[in-house]
Amino acid sequence: MEVELLEIRQFFEQRNPFNYLSDELLDELPKDIEIRYLRRGGTFPPLEGYLYVLRSGAVKIYDTEGELCEKLAEGDMYSVTCQLVNLSQCTSGEAVEDTLLYMLHCDRLKELCRESTAFGEHFSAGVKERLKAAISVYQESDDPTVAAMMVSVGSLIRKQPITVQSGMTIRETASLMSNKDVSSVMVMQDDKLVGLVTDRDLRKRCVAIGLTGTELIDQIMTPNPQTIEATAITAQALMMMTRMHFHHLPVTRNGKLEGMITATDLANHQSANSAYLAADVRKAKSVDDLVEVSKRLPNLHLRLANASVTARHIGEAVSCLTDSITGRLLQMAEEQLGAPPVPYVWMAGGSQARHEQSSHSDQDNALLLSDDFDKDKHDEYFAAMAKFVSDGLDRCGFVYCPGDAMATNPEWRQPLQVWKRYFNKWIESPTPMSVMLSSIFFDLRPVTGDFDLFVPLQQNILRKSQENGIFLAHMTANALKHRPPLGFFRQFVLERGGDHDDTLDLKHKGIVPITDIARVLALASGKEAVNTVDRLRACAGTPQLTTEMAENLEDALEFIATLRIQHQANQIKNNRKADNYVPPSELSELEREHLKHAFKVIQTMQESIAKRFGADRLG
Amino acid sequence: MFEKLLGKEYARKKALAKAPAGPLADFLAAGRMDRSADCREIPIMAIDLETTGLDPKKDVILSIGMVEVNNWGVNLGTAWHRIVRVDQAIPGETAVIHHITDDQSAAGEPIEALLPEVLRRMAGKPMLVHYSPIEQNFIDAACRKIYGAPFVTPIIDTLEIAQRVYERRNHLIQPGDLRLFNLRPRYNLPQYKAHNALSDALATAELFLAVADNLYPSGKCPLGEFLSKR
Repeated sequence: MEVELLEIRQFFEQRNPFNYLSDELLDELPKDIEIRYLRRGGTFPPLEGYLYVLRSGAVKIYDTEGELCEKLAEGDMYSVTCQLVNLSQCTSGEAVEDTLLYMLHCDRLKELCRESTAFGEHFSAGVKERLKAAISVYQESDDPTVAAMMVSVGSLIRKQPITVQSGMTIRETASLMSNKDVSSVMVMQDDKLVGLVTDRDLRKRCVAIGLTGTELIDQIMTPNPQTIEATAITAQALMMMTRMHFHHLPVTRNGKLEGMITATDLANHQSANSAYLAADVRKAKSVDDLVEVSKRLPNLHLRLANASVTARHIGEAVSCLTDSITGRLLQMAEEQLGAPPVPYVWMAGGSQARHEQSSHSDQDNALLLSDDFDKDKHDEYFAAMAKFVSDGLDRCGFVYCPGDAMATNPEWRQPLQVWKRYFNKWIESPTPMSVMLSSIFFDLRPVTGDFDLFVPLQQNILRKSQENGIFLAHMTANALKHRPPLGFFRQFVLERGGDHDDTLDLKHKGIVPITDIARVLALASGKEAVNTVDRLRACAGTPQLTTEMAENLEDALEFIATLRIQHQANQIKNNRKADNYVPPSELSELEREHLKHAFKVIQTMQESIAKRFGADRLG
Repeated sequence: MFEKLLGKEYARKKALAKAPAGPLADFLAAGRMDRSADCREIPIMAIDLETTGLDPKKDVILSIGMVEVNNWGVNLGTAWHRIVRVDQAIPGETAVIHHITDDQSAAGEPIEALLPEVLRRMAGKPMLVHYSPIEQNFIDAACRKIYGAPFVTPIIDTLEIAQRVYERRNHLIQPGDLRLFNLRPRYNLPQYKAHNALSDALATAELFLAVADNLYPSGKCPLGEFLSKR
């Protein structure tokens, strides 16, 4: 380097990722730099095949639809044209100010990546980062529904948080709430949130049981309430409220209390979206009404997919709505059939239980009844209830389970002790049949009814499964049945024959293997989680699953699921039936590259559980 | 006088006839320019000299910086900088500007050794400078001294071009407006802290790209439009 170019070197050495380069490489860098000037309005990038760093000025980058993706300012880097394959939709733009560009040829960039690992990592970030870059571009969507869902929770807070200090009396709290005209207050210990009190608590936990009001507020508050970060999107707040049956959610920012949002705030904010769908489900008077509401589900799926909502959130949104529909159907059934003769809980299995449903999933469900159940006296009632709900779900688009894993099947409509017996048998002497059922019944979640019934069943399952090596070996063998295609691309295994000739089955080659792995791990370590990502997170850092592997699997799942959702969204948009079969021609080169990584992660983990749980030895 | 009327091509031929075989003759032989060539397609050499003063008769070149403009870009791989060994003390008042000390100069090479390389690098390319009399006159003086023949080159002078732009827009030109480091911010170019022959040559090259890109945003950018009358 000519020492007179020190300033150019200094410009780079202060910037990530160039600061990772050794002194020798930094000394050599300036001679490989080309400089170009772009007047305001000039097209960016001026040439393909270069990495760009803005020395001065500003550039706006647009996606293929003409939406603004990002603005580059002094010191910002743009490497899209150097990526092996183009992941970004954000491929071109223009200078919005006169701009001076430093350029590095992609060939030289590749050499530098080889010569400096730390530098290179920046350009070959994990699937997650690259994926995030691709899908988390917050699009300013034209679709008001989606735009509404993407707004941050923090922006919905309208007033200062109303709080009382722990140790105040119920009466003092009630009078403050009435003065401030609020339906809830947060209870603080100094500046730490310790509880939540709502109107409803005052009625139910105070007045109704004859407290006088001189007792401490701590006695009736909900302690340690669930909170949400202000940066979360409203869609997440909605999920949380629907899932946990909350109406109030304290909002924090970096752990500090910022305010409160209520279900009403969300409903006011969002129109004609999934919150409204949920509200419409609640308001539905008949199955016909529910069928009408359900017709909007594929559209919701499409809108969320278009808004780059993550696959995980879409799965949650659809599953939450299925829960609501199920719940409303059960209410209608009870209205028709009268009160249930014994307590029951309606359980969802499979993808609904895992919160991973898509709008075209079939239904998997079962009824867990109190041990007071007397088949002769009560089964007629529950058979009718099951039929009502199952028929209703089918009409709403959640078609009957082809394997008859539904509460309409008398086998899956049983009291607690029978269910316990089923599971004991499945776990202690597994058969191919029982293992087949595992993807439905070992992913089980109570939806409506008496949740207390479910707890002993779940504890029983987790205790038994954890102890039983043979069962885990069988489950592992099952988890290895679906293998990802290896040796990507030309060699890569495509489905043959029938309607799906020469396509890649994303579900069975990618998603199912990860779901199966997560199930084995959760059962082996007695984790209650049912959602695949929750399971991976719960098991992360155990001897069976390193934290790094857990993250990789989560990334792989999110990536494959996102591909599937995009594929399905396209099909829905074109009025075709959504499926899991993707023709490779639909994938970009980069997507294939990522798939290769994702499949590799799955393969590695399959080998690991095969070793650990001895599935190899089953033969 | 005659040379001015007859133009640069005549002067070049005359100098070529006078120059002894060697670097200057080679340079002059390659110096024929097609005025209709597209600036975007031909190589141009930006150059800056630091000198002990402004008078080529008694002052000398202290350092030389060059960088090539090509294809609408500056390729830093072509950057070249040399310190000249001078046999006179460097006046303190100019050292404040160029920061070249006597010791540094003593470690440099004599102009006789450097000039062939300068001419070789510039051959066939218009000379890009900001305010051309310094570079033109100092290199010319060196050539006359060493080779006994004048230095004739097509010149692109960013100061002249900027002046034309100003005049065309009827801007009143204030003193200092046309200085390199006052012009650059007008095109949103960054200020370089260093002040040496190479960084000034680079600053000139960038300014040229900016000025030319604004004058000819698209299409052909004829060299003739930029060539100095000098």
